Amino acid sequence: MSPQSHPATDDRTAGEERRGPRFGVPEPGYDPSAPEDVTVLPAGSSATVRTYVRELLRRHRRAFVLLVGVNSGAVLASTVGPWLLGGIVDGLAAGREDLQLGRATVLFALALLVQTVFTQQVRVRGAMLGEEMLADLREDFLVRAVRLPPGVLERAGTGDLLSRITTDIDRLGDAMRKAVPQLAIGLVWAALLVGALCVTAPPLALTVLLALPVLLAGCRWYFRRAPHAYRAEAAGYAAVAAALAETVDAGRTVETHRLGSRRVALSERRVAEWTAWERRTLWLRTVLFPAVSLSNMLIMGGVLLLGGVFVLQGWIGVGRLTTGALLAQMLIEPVGLILRWYDELQVAQVSLARLVGVREIEAEDGRGPAPRGKDVRASGVRFGYLAGVDVLHGVTLDVAPGSRVALVGPSGAGKSTLGRLLAGIYGPRHGEVTLGGAALSELPAEEVRRHVVLVNQEHHVFVGTLRDNLLLARQDADDAGLWAALGAVDARGWAEALPDGLDSAVGSGGLTVTPAQAQQIALARLVLADPHTLVLDEATSLLDPRAARHLERSLAQVLEGRTVVAIAHRLHTAHDADVIAVVEEGHISELGSHDALVATDGPYAALWRSWHG
Amino acid sequence: MQIRDLPYDDPGVPDVRSGFRLLLWLGRMQMGGQCKALGWGVLHLASIASFPAVAGLAVTAVVDRSGGDLALAALAMAVVTLTVTTGDTLLHRAAVTNWITAAARIQQLLARRTAALGATLTRRVAAGEVVAVSTGDIERIGWCVEAVSRFSAALLTTLGVCVALVVYQPQLGLLTCAGMLALALAVLPLLPSATRRADTQRERAGRATELAADTVAGLRVLRGIGGEELFLTRYRRASQQVRHAAVRTARMWSFIEALQVALPGLLLVAVVWYGTRLALDGRIAVGELVMVYGAISFLLVPLQLFGEFAMSYSFSRPSAARAARVLGLRRPGEEQQVTALPARPDARERAAPVGSTDVREGLHDPATGLRAPAGLLTAVVCGDPDAAGHLAERLGGHPASAAAPGAAAGTENAPQSAAGEGAGRAQGRRREGEDVSVLLDGTPLDAMPLARARAAVLVQDKDPVLLSGTLAGLLDVPSSGAVDAGRALKAAQCDDVLAALVQGSPDAEGDPMRARITERGRSLSGGQRQRLALARSLLTDPPVLVLDEPTSAVDSHTEARIARELAALRSGRTTVVFTSSPLLLDSADRVVFVHGSRAAAAGTHRELLGCEDAYRAVVTRAPQSTAGRPAESRAGNAQTEGAEST
Repeated sequence: MSPQSHPATDDRTAGEERRGPRFGVPEPGYDPSAPEDVTVLPAGSSATVRTYVRELLRRHRRAFVLLVGVNSGAVLASTVGPWLLGGIVDGLAAGREDLQLGRATVLFALALLVQTVFTQQVRVRGAMLGEEMLADLREDFLVRAVRLPPGVLERAGTGDLLSRITTDIDRLGDAMRKAVPQLAIGLVWAALLVGALCVTAPPLALTVLLALPVLLAGCRWYFRRAPHAYRAEAAGYAAVAAALAETVDAGRTVETHRLGSRRVALSERRVAEWTAWERRTLWLRTVLFPAVSLSNMLIMGGVLLLGGVFVLQGWIGVGRLTTGALLAQMLIEPVGLILRWYDELQVAQVSLARLVGVREIEAEDGRGPAPRGKDVRASGVRFGYLAGVDVLHGVTLDVAPGSRVALVGPSGAGKSTLGRLLAGIYGPRHGEVTLGGAALSELPAEEVRRHVVLVNQEHHVFVGTLRDNLLLARQDADDAGLWAALGAVDARGWAEALPDGLDSAVGSGGLTVTPAQAQQIALARLVLADPHTLVLDEATSLLDPRAARHLERSLAQVLEGRTVVAIAHRLHTAHDADVIAVVEEGHISELGSHDALVATDGPYAALWRSWHG
Repeated sequence: MQIRDLPYDDPGVPDVRSGFRLLLWLGRMQMGGQCKALGWGVLHLASIASFPAVAGLAVTAVVDRSGGDLALAALAMAVVTLTVTTGDTLLHRAAVTNWITAAARIQQLLARRTAALGATLTRRVAAGEVVAVSTGDIERIGWCVEAVSRFSAALLTTLGVCVALVVYQPQLGLLTCAGMLALALAVLPLLPSATRRADTQRERAGRATELAADTVAGLRVLRGIGGEELFLTRYRRASQQVRHAAVRTARMWSFIEALQVALPGLLLVAVVWYGTRLALDGRIAVGELVMVYGAISFLLVPLQLFGEFAMSYSFSRPSAARAARVLGLRRPGEEQQVTALPARPDARERAAPVGSTDVREGLHDPATGLRAPAGLLTAVVCGDPDAAGHLAERLGGHPASAAAPGAAAGTENAPQSAAGEGAGRAQGRRREGEDVSVLLDGTPLDAMPLARARAAVLVQDKDPVLLSGTLAGLLDVPSSGAVDAGRALKAAQCDDVLAALVQGSPDAEGDPMRARITERGRSLSGGQRQRLALARSLLTDPPVLVLDEPTSAVDSHTEARIARELAALRSGRTTVVFTSSPLLLDSADRVVFVHGSRAAAAGTHRELLGCEDAYRAVVTRAPQSTAGRPAESRAGNAQTEGAEST
């Protein structure tokens, strides 16, 4: 207990906390909730969040009204008991013999029945409302996420989105499932009780005014500090688990580099950071709790004593005093409910903003002319990820239909970037990339991928059946088509050996698929999607060098009859290409067939010699 | 124990024989805190319980028209207010402190156990369990630890109130006691079903989250090739299932809640009816009737605490069992008593003790006949790709895949059968003679203490993990000190990685060492990650360095430069590189070709290219060669190795 902590005095300046109050716990210096990585995707502005919340409430108006209705019923029924007891007390005090006790008992029992049924309904309706809103929220988010332009995904990565759909949804879970309905319940409840108090004995309701300043001052102090502190506390706790998860994930590396004691020290530092925030929030509650407790007691004591004086003065009867005191006692619960869930809602706002933020990214709606032809051409292309820093400086490259082009060059020279431009993932800053005469950047992703597909290192096997994993490339394919695609990449053998064939569950949690099989699945998808042009990025490191030989045949079959632009790390891939483009520092420095380049005796030739021995 | 004193210097040795014993142990370790919480809890509840008495006093005073009695009641009211407030606040502080110290203790124990298990944890079953304990179970255990003191306080106070009622007004008191007992028991039968439904809900929610996370993780694939609608439909289905399960759970709870309204309500009705009759007969005063009514309303509070405790216990029991299982995991061969790891990095780690003696002999694997002479760069080419990783791991001694910790702890029948199969395969792959230890300068590595073996030989596996943090943090590894960060980064050709890192961390202000690396280095490309990992290993500068495919994702231009720098940096040190890249092979002092499970030939890259068909097939991957088929080994002028082994 801190006698000094009168809530209202602690609240002068923002800098006050830095000095540190004599009692209490100032904010710890380190804030785990401060973002460490650059968030590439935006968080929603408060206007977007407000619009969304309004829309959400409108969608669930009926459920909301219903909840408030049953809740009011339950509260009103619960005030019957105190009323009846008040009447009885009145009668007893007056010394009346005929109290109609039987009638009162039956009424009480009926009210109890109503209250029971309605309380049960409140709980169910509250959960229904919360769950519906939560389901809407997570489904809305995924709908938006899968419409994001590929360029945004490529640049932002999926990590940020991933943490939004897991952590933020999780945090919102409690808010939607409990905070929204409970707050509604608490507010209605408290209002009705105060109303009942007013009806019973208007002068007694004055005590609410007596207690209100204490409650408000305490809450104001608390709610100014609480949201940030709880956010930091939650992030701190998550960081403890994250440090451990990383140690587990990196078990082998931790052991080989003898990092064990460093990891233990890190975990303990995280524990210290997290518990520092636990201390802070505990202190905040140490101030809030007495304020709430005090105001509750003020109301109850006030009703009892003021009422007592009123009765002695003959202004109200004993019965009303009894009813008033019991109603005042009942106020504790809704007040607690409101306080309990209000800060949950505040914390949830941040998560909501992060979820809704995805809506602010414009989905491209480009509708350029449809391509006529299959030739891909880059002319005078300049492009950079940051303003003023170009990665490509005026690249021109023609890819004839059916030809094989290899892009080689050192890391960071821009070959991957060029590949992405040719696949229509990014639009050039200057110049243009066309497919059959149509500018790729003006076509929607759904159209582009019918013609050109980028194949990168990612060979994600989705959680689900093998069929799901293939169907995504061509949703109208029948089983025969799927088997044919698997056959085309030499995957039919192991696929047929799976316990449930196409219906076997794969992906995390299902059957473990070897990396080579995962790559074959990725290749089978390409067969099904059947684009005429493929851009292979690091396609050879996609193929594990050890498993590579088994897969090269599969790949060769997929490439058969298609235009291929290969970003080659391994020279033997380049060797077979029709045209080799050596990319250096954002330019194409050499261009020609393998034999021609070896004959010119330039940088490519030198590399080839050291490779081939 | 105060929160400010966390973390513990020594979290202690937990009793891991069962979940229940673990809970007991936790309770024992914070006996003081539990007693404190119990004390404040009793004060809190007793004060609340005495409020109806004060109210009764006031009503009596009013009925008796006594101003003095009313003032007395006011005084009592003030005292009760003070004790309720104090008790409430301090109970909360004590209970939360118990929760947090228990959670911190388990987190610390987990961190130590994880560090001790190291590579043996990479098996999925065990790894998943550790993470599950740290993310979900600890909260439930903490809840139970916290609830127990409030439960005992409620129990004590309820007993007190009942006794007081019986003494004060036997008939009413007995009626209340019987009612309370019935109420406390009435909810219990519903709890198992409610917990079951909550479990189903959690499981479905986990499934939906997994689906969403999986869809998002593969989003680039989806956007690149299609199938968004398919996956959205699937997710909607899962999401709606979660909703239904949640509403089902809520329905169950709503019945429990309704019971908690109806049963005490019935008791109230009975008490009012009976009490009024007593009052009518003049056997009790009006104020006493109000008091009894208030006392029964009060009893709702402990009733809820009973329910909460029953729930927290039923939730935390499986969690505690899992925590006990995880904390009980042992490395094969690890001493049964837990060796407490020092929390701070040990200074002695920095000086690698082994290898300073006679190093001429180098590394020798009797099982395959592979030899890596001291001070040379030996490249190893494996005909069988699967064997290479296994062999590389063996070279470090104490191979983790030899026996998984799960087997020792009896978790084989854990649900993830897929992982189990994987382990089975790994075990099946073990070949004859593999239990013979690799020798370092004639000393068996497996017989050496683990820490010494790891300090002597560093095996960088095919998929080294970059730990998140700053670049400086990543490179803060125990090392010989002979190679500085700049030199290691330069040798691994990390210039463009540094540039990318700086670009991605604006708050590093251009200093790459302060730039942040995300978990597993996901913001970097595969090649960039590989080069950073290589730099870290080079910086460590171990007496013997084994690299497994260190440049498989690096482009040929850069790889050529790395090959040169690697040879220069490691000159005079023992280095083994598993690779099939001609660029690396060409820069090695010596190349060993492992075919089948034997070292089949050795020589320089060019020598082997000239005389070993099988070698040439593996290295150049010439499509016309009969790769994959056992080619006959023509020893030629390359010496045949390992004749003296076995």
